[in-house]
Amino acid sequence: MTNTIDTSIYVAITEAIQGEVRRILSEGNVSAVIGYAAARRKGSAQPTVIVQPDDAEKLIFSAACVNNLAVYLTKAKKEIPKTGKIGIVVKGCDLKALVGLMGESQLKREDLYLIGVPCAGVLASTAQPAQPLTSDTIAPKCRECDARLPTGCDFVPDQQPVIPELERRYSAEIARLEAMPPAERWAYWKEQFKKCIKCYACRQVCPFCFCEQCLCDRNKPQMVETTPRPAGNAAWHIVRGMHLAGRCAGCAECERVCPMDIPLNLLNRKMAKELKELYNYEAGFEMQEKGPLATYDEKDDQSFIK
Amino acid sequence: MPMEEQMHSFEPKIIAFVCTWCTYAGADLAGTSRMQYPANVRVLKFPCTGRIDPVFILKAFQQGADGVLVSGCHPGDCHYIAGNFHARRRFAVFRKLLEFVGVDLGRLQFSWVSAAEGGKWVEMVTDLTERVRGMGPMRDFEELALEEQWSGAITTPELQEAYDSI
Amino acid sequence: MSRIGVFICHCGENISRTVDVERVAALVGTLPGVAFSTDYKYMCSDPGQGLLKKAIQEQRLSHVVVAACSPRMHEKTFRKAVESAGLNPFLCEMANIREHCSWVHEDRDEATAKAVEIVGMMVERVKKNRVLPTITVPVTKRSLVIGGGIAGIQAALDIADAGHEVVLVEREPSIGGHMAQLSETFPTLDCSQCIMTPKMVDVANHPKITLYTYAEIEQVEGYIGNFQVTVRKKARSVDEDKCTGCGVCMTKCPQKKIPNTFDRNLGMRPAIYVPFPQAVPNTPVIDRENCTKFKTGKCGVCQKVCGPGAVDYEQEDQLIVEPVGAIVVATGFDLYSIEEKPKGSPIKGYGEFGHGKIPDVIDGMTFERLASASGPTGGKILRPSDGREPKQIVFIQCVGSRAREKGISYCSKICCMYTAKHTMLYHHKVHDGQAYVFFMDARTPGKSYDEFWRRSIEEEEAVYIRGMVSRLYQKGDKIVVMGSDIAVGVQVEIEADMVVLATAVQPQKGADTLAQKLGISYDKYHFYSEAHAKLRPVECATAGIYLAGACQGPKDIPDTVSQASAAAAKVMTLFAKDKLEREPIVARVREAGCVGCFYCQKVCPYGAVEEKEIRDRQGNLVKVVAYVNPGVCGGCGTCQATCPSKSVELDGYTDEQIVAMIEAL
Repeated sequence: MTNTIDTSIYVAITEAIQGEVRRILSEGNVSAVIGYAAARRKGSAQPTVIVQPDDAEKLIFSAACVNNLAVYLTKAKKEIPKTGKIGIVVKGCDLKALVGLMGESQLKREDLYLIGVPCAGVLASTAQPAQPLTSDTIAPKCRECDARLPTGCDFVPDQQPVIPELERRYSAEIARLEAMPPAERWAYWKEQFKKCIKCYACRQVCPFCFCEQCLCDRNKPQMVETTPRPAGNAAWHIVRGMHLAGRCAGCAECERVCPMDIPLNLLNRKMAKELKELYNYEAGFEMQEKGPLATYDEKDDQSFIK
Repeated sequence: MPMEEQMHSFEPKIIAFVCTWCTYAGADLAGTSRMQYPANVRVLKFPCTGRIDPVFILKAFQQGADGVLVSGCHPGDCHYIAGNFHARRRFAVFRKLLEFVGVDLGRLQFSWVSAAEGGKWVEMVTDLTERVRGMGPMRDFEELALEEQWSGAITTPELQEAYDSI
Repeated sequence: MSRIGVFICHCGENISRTVDVERVAALVGTLPGVAFSTDYKYMCSDPGQGLLKKAIQEQRLSHVVVAACSPRMHEKTFRKAVESAGLNPFLCEMANIREHCSWVHEDRDEATAKAVEIVGMMVERVKKNRVLPTITVPVTKRSLVIGGGIAGIQAALDIADAGHEVVLVEREPSIGGHMAQLSETFPTLDCSQCIMTPKMVDVANHPKITLYTYAEIEQVEGYIGNFQVTVRKKARSVDEDKCTGCGVCMTKCPQKKIPNTFDRNLGMRPAIYVPFPQAVPNTPVIDRENCTKFKTGKCGVCQKVCGPGAVDYEQEDQLIVEPVGAIVVATGFDLYSIEEKPKGSPIKGYGEFGHGKIPDVIDGMTFERLASASGPTGGKILRPSDGREPKQIVFIQCVGSRAREKGISYCSKICCMYTAKHTMLYHHKVHDGQAYVFFMDARTPGKSYDEFWRRSIEEEEAVYIRGMVSRLYQKGDKIVVMGSDIAVGVQVEIEADMVVLATAVQPQKGADTLAQKLGISYDKYHFYSEAHAKLRPVECATAGIYLAGACQGPKDIPDTVSQASAAAAKVMTLFAKDKLEREPIVARVREAGCVGCFYCQKVCPYGAVEEKEIRDRQGNLVKVVAYVNPGVCGGCGTCQATCPSKSVELDGYTDEQIVAMIEAL
């Protein structure tokens, strides 16, 4: 049974964003706003930077606004001090990434003007942009979302998203894999990792992959093979999974951009689940001074240590 | 060679990552006390378990280790005050990742062995060596290294569609 | 191209009995990069070391591997030998083929094969070893001591007597701390002020000690050997240089009814005051909060009567920057307040003991002031409510201590002894008085302590009742104490004239703020944390900062003085050299790779990671990166394992070195 998801609020949200951006750009304390604009294919959206108040009308918000714009603040962060405050349109998942970045001294809250978006979900990578948002076309990450109304932003349109009841596919898949014996699980992941072509799109799109030189690109010593062979691929994904543990915000962009459809977010959601169970950590809207792996408690679990 | 004979002639390669101040000293004590244990373990000395990057564990398996032992000071005793607390969290998370990917955690052992616990060192090494001997060689990464490319299996509808359109 | 020298030791027969050392030398000699491989009976002996040095020079060796016992045994020996032959000591590694091989395996083939692998592994590792020059940090040979109680005084005197300058900073107008408030001290019943005032005067007169009283620490910057401490000298309103200590101002001050905290609010003092007659310095302070002149602008009597003209109402706080090389923290303790709901305290109130509402329920320190000859009652034990002599005093032990349900699980250590002392003082002053003590255990471990305690029962006729008190209440002019006697198994009720509570010892107010300024750790009770509970009890994890006295944990006077001298000894060790030398196993940041996430800073147990700005030639900020202070870094490497890009590397245990070992196996 395919349920259509109500995206009517997106029209009002688009207007609200346009109005707010026009206002803040004219007033002058924000020098640029990163948001979504319509792209060439019908119904699709793409990231854009608005500098002139009159261009604010180009901004949209729709179910095709899949990108996590936070990534533009990391690669380009060297520009922020020169240009003044930067505005950014963020869905809940994107905001979690921004908050994580603030906790890692990559961004300062006072340098940003956050425009939060009440979100009912966005389209999956397998859906065509012009398709309506339904329980079939919605992105898997949105099925488990608990961040539909961003808080702590400078501006959030008034709309309330209608939250549909959807089966949590990641949780189900994680449970399915956890129930397998190790050898079967290894066979599953071996298949998945073998597909990898080492395009590193997952790394490029991830807001937390902001290292100037990725560990896996170094050859003295070489921790991870760079060629797209199964052994090197497995190592790459395991190391990336570990490096994101306790940081990943769950925006699932990695999974969206992977040309080989490797279920990357599955790995990250599993790690998020473990961190919640072990250390009660969850990526959220409040900045945390220290992530779960930058701190400790004397009573941490050590049942696995003899 | 029959399977049983193969198993008996299999000598597991065990790599141990230990901290200088506690476990390495405990292993030294086992030596001074002339305690005997299987000769399969190779010890790598670190200043602190806090220095042990999970990537080393992965590297060890990739290089052919059949079992990996990671051991350090008991919580609260770290010579560098808190290194082992950070390591504890890191290892707890990493082993969940490895487990999820399909590595049998029976091959990966963590322990706290103090400088006074020579006997415990012997116990940890012997336990792991014999357990891994029973499990057989760690073939997972070896097989992976031998493979050159994707198997070509068609597992998603998109791949099926692409294949059909050729 | 490496020219590695490998030296396999027989260790007499310890290694050669199980490991075929000649074979190991031969096999390892064929490894690429190994220019010289030999075996010898006793590498650590003089001829053995001679062999090593000769080979380094004759064979032009670039690195050395000595395969022998554990590096924990002889790494220093061989590194020193190698250094004397002209090679950097960190290009020498040891392969442990004794404790980890020949001593633990019996099969000769297995042991030999393992030895070959171990040595081979170290050969690969040493190829990645880099020259590490010894790190030196200059040392300013001046010490700061924070706190002028007996701990601070002792530490300051020890350091100053050794010839080094000391800056002693005390928050109160006089040094002396709590010991100055005591009447007599256990286990000898010495008069506390009598033994202490000579030391206080020594401090004041010592040419090497700069004393700042009525002063606090404003800011601390720098690191071991090189601290810059800003001291705030609060305005006394009296010029110390002019004041002669005549005391006329105090006698003429019209405001005489301000409760004197030194006397636990039993006595009164004027607005211009010294806290007690033996104060050092003997310069008064104006309590601006209660002084009429400062509140209303009227009065000014003290200035008029001051002969030397020392009273200065315009005086302001002074900020003084003192460069020091070491800091001794001796801020001491305070007693837990029995008043209602102490704010911000981990301890909850004691409603069942009258919340501080019953005036004749007092704490131990207040009893000391009553007993003290220079106290508000001239040494007579009198009830605060009506001034009558109490004939029955009930002492209650463990009020707040050892009480998980109220918030403090530790034992305050000094109360068993001082309560016994109180019963003795009481009995000496009130011959027909009866002391009752409700106690749980008697903790009297020190020298002559138990004998002292037994005296209070056997000679001073104190009645010790093992049991706890559930409630006190006022009945007429008496206080009814309801408790239990568990030895006999009955409930006990005593009508007391006075109740003295042995309240818990806690760190001074503001201990946490000071710790944050210094960058030292403290536990959940705000006691300062020592570097290692058994082996380094007077140092902090933060290099250059030492602990003395009750700020580290509840402590009596003998232990406090011992610890103060120990801290002073540590300071003197630091000052014994002009430069601080340390092993160069420290972390270094590769600034090109660092993105300033500061995970390293968050996990560093030593607080060694600082922020460093990288600017371009025009002065614009490019990025903020991490910087590891080599003087403070402990060398654990937790930073490197946590850094996602491995931009911080621990010299001596780099990723290259470790991966080389793994790949060699």
